Amino acid sequence: MFKSAIQWFNKFMHSLSFKLSFYAGLLMFLAIIVFSYHSISSQEHSLINKMIQESLKDSEVIKAAIWNGMMTKERDVIRQIVKAIGQQEGFKEINIYDNKGELHYSTKPITTKTMMDLSAEPSMNDLRNDVRLRHRISRDGHSIVVVNPLINTVSCSTSGCHASPDVEKILGILEVKLGLENLNAEVSKNRKQTIIFAVSLFLMISTASGLGVVFFVNPKIRQLQDKAAKMARGEYNPRGRNGGTDEMAELIRSFDRMSIQINQRTNELDASRKLYKSLFEEVPCYLTVVDRDFKIVRANRAFTNEFGDQVGKNCFTGYKNRTEPCENCSVAKTFEDGAVHQSEEIWRLHGRDCYVMVKTSPIFDNRGKVLEVLEMAVDVTLLKRLQLKLERKQFEFKQLFSTVPCYLTVVDRDFNIVTTNDLFERDFGERIGRKCFEAYKNSDHKCDNCPVEKTFIDGATHYSEEIWRRNGEETYIVVYTAPIHNDEGEIVSVMEMSTNITEVKRLQGELAILGETIAGMSHTIKNILSGLQGGVYVLDSGLKTSREDKVRDGWAMVKKNVEKISDLVKGILYASKERTPEYKIYSPIQLLSEVCDLYEVKARNEGISLTRNFAQDVPPCFIDPAGIHSAVSNLVSNAIHACKDLDEDQSHTITVSCFMNSANLVIEVKDDGAGMPENVRDNLFKKFYSTKGSQGTGLGLVITRKVIHEHGGNIRVESELGLGTTFIIEIPAKFEHIQPRLQEAC
Amino acid sequence: MAKKILVIDDEPDMVTFLTTLLEDHGYETVTAMDGDEGLSQLRSQKPDLVSLDLLMPNKTGIKMFRELRKDPDLCDTPVIMVTGFGTDDTPNMDFKKWIHERSIKAPEAYIEKPVDKDALLAAIKKIIG
Repeated sequence: MFKSAIQWFNKFMHSLSFKLSFYAGLLMFLAIIVFSYHSISSQEHSLINKMIQESLKDSEVIKAAIWNGMMTKERDVIRQIVKAIGQQEGFKEINIYDNKGELHYSTKPITTKTMMDLSAEPSMNDLRNDVRLRHRISRDGHSIVVVNPLINTVSCSTSGCHASPDVEKILGILEVKLGLENLNAEVSKNRKQTIIFAVSLFLMISTASGLGVVFFVNPKIRQLQDKAAKMARGEYNPRGRNGGTDEMAELIRSFDRMSIQINQRTNELDASRKLYKSLFEEVPCYLTVVDRDFKIVRANRAFTNEFGDQVGKNCFTGYKNRTEPCENCSVAKTFEDGAVHQSEEIWRLHGRDCYVMVKTSPIFDNRGKVLEVLEMAVDVTLLKRLQLKLERKQFEFKQLFSTVPCYLTVVDRDFNIVTTNDLFERDFGERIGRKCFEAYKNSDHKCDNCPVEKTFIDGATHYSEEIWRRNGEETYIVVYTAPIHNDEGEIVSVMEMSTNITEVKRLQGELAILGETIAGMSHTIKNILSGLQGGVYVLDSGLKTSREDKVRDGWAMVKKNVEKISDLVKGILYASKERTPEYKIYSPIQLLSEVCDLYEVKARNEGISLTRNFAQDVPPCFIDPAGIHSAVSNLVSNAIHACKDLDEDQSHTITVSCFMNSANLVIEVKDDGAGMPENVRDNLFKKFYSTKGSQGTGLGLVITRKVIHEHGGNIRVESELGLGTTFIIEIPAKFEHIQPRLQEAC
Repeated sequence: MAKKILVIDDEPDMVTFLTTLLEDHGYETVTAMDGDEGLSQLRSQKPDLVSLDLLMPNKTGIKMFRELRKDPDLCDTPVIMVTGFGTDDTPNMDFKKWIHERSIKAPEAYIEKPVDKDALLAAIKKIIG
């Protein structure tokens, strides 16, 4: 009961009607009080002034009466007049003092000798001199005191009554006291009336405004409250027109308009909510809403159909049959940072693994905090399989690219190498980022007729044969270029597929040599055949005609050509068969002497002198004596051939020299024979090349060179037509140079 | 009267073979071992036909052939060029073409070594009967 009363009181205190009436009344009350106080004060002031003026006038009248009485020496008359005046309403007392302040007469009965109250008159010291008419309010505030000095005029000082000396300015003082009680009572009465008025006005205004609020505002507010409550329940439908022209009516109309708009928005929201709900349900992927405890709050139809009703269960249980949250959980990440996350996961579905792409996005509450997370999962198993297939293919292609046994490089439009395969990197080193022409050819500018450039222009495959430089060696390369397109079909780079054909080129060269060899050999054989055929014919003819000379000639021809065939076959075998050299420590001087001994007689028969020019300091060397013997014999035999059949009157010399040149053993065979033209010099070491016609096999120098090369040495020729020829053999004499060759031979 | 044929070849065996062959078939033969000797034999013996080896020391067959063709007394003597160089062996050296370019009358016949007896005899028969 008491409590409810307090509640009611509190409610009342906080009600709009109370506040409005109380504060309006209070304001009015204060205004009246302030105004009345000011008005009463000024009224009081003016009454006092008026009284003062009147009392001054009265004091002047009394003074005049006193003066006249004094002049006429009618003291009693004076007293009577004063007394009469003093008895009038408002006069409290009238006192007359002398110039020493002693009271001489008072309307009040005087018992003792009374002095003037000097404390009330600050200038009383000046009592004798101050001639001003002055007044004051008594200390108790109940009376006005008028002080009127009685001035010593000429008539006074000269009159005979009780003449005062003329030095005295003032003869005495007239003090008139007027009562203020009536005035104060009046003022007090006014005040009381004003307060009563103000209080009653306050009550009236408060009541009026309170009632106004209660009758005119509160019902409307209640109406608004009802409408708001209805609207909140979604039941409010503003119908008809609300009458009235005041602000409250306008407020209600505004509210109605607002409610119409809110209704519209609500309907729209409802429609979109329904749309989203249907989307949520129908979208062909698994949608779940998960809370902070990883509990599924909602799930769409696709999910429920596939996984059953999992609402209320943990997502990791529902999706993956796990007992604890997944590592690297996207939902947890989204709860943490409020951002969208994505992951690929493997779920168990109908007993098989399926790949799903999971995307999590936050659902915020109105304070911007992540309330729940929407987890969207799409079954990408098929896609994943394709992707795996693609990755496998990519890997295979990469593998193929890396291991293909030719150089593969990819070059961009600026001829920068973008990527290379393993073989290229192995043979040319890391070259990515370098210009292709720089990497391949040590060139500082683009190659002429560049196939890469052509492919960039026409998108077609191009081909070129090039020579690249690698570690200072020339490498023959055949390059095919093919365009690499991007998704838009533009050529972004060009692949260069280069095959090292150095070996092919070498074989090609050997093949050409082989071709020439066979041609040369067939020529030699043709000559021999021709001789044989002739011999056989001549023999046959001799037998038929019984001419013995023809038989002999023919038989000699046949024998000679059979010998030639024998030589040829032996030469071919020597030149082509891998004969194992037999190295031993042997004196080159001794070896060369043996050769010279062998050819001494033959040379002499041809009118040629064979000179030996051997240095004394040539030490025994590690050589294959049989090989060197055959090599030098060949050269000496050639030299004899070059010197014979020339002009008979000129004698020729062949010089065989031997000396050491630093670590090399040098053997020279020099003749002053016919010399060789350039074309002969160029073909010297080819198989079956011979200038001796039917005399040679075209294999001698081939064998010679083979032997010298087996010794790790080299052979060269200096020759001038008509002046002679010198063959120079240089062989490293040291054991170490031969050692590898020995190992090779083994 | 038997027709006279001059055989020029630096190989004695070839000379023996050709003279034997020609004499067996009723021709009279004279021989020379090189170009210079060949030219002097031509002037002194006035053969009806010359069998000329292409590659010889002192004066090659080609040089001699050119001199022969330039000499007004000799230029009408028919020449059979006998050579070891066939067009099959030396594709880069087509002698027939090379000789033609010299704006002189070509040899009347070419015979390649090894000499085909019948072909040689047929060629001779065709030229001098």
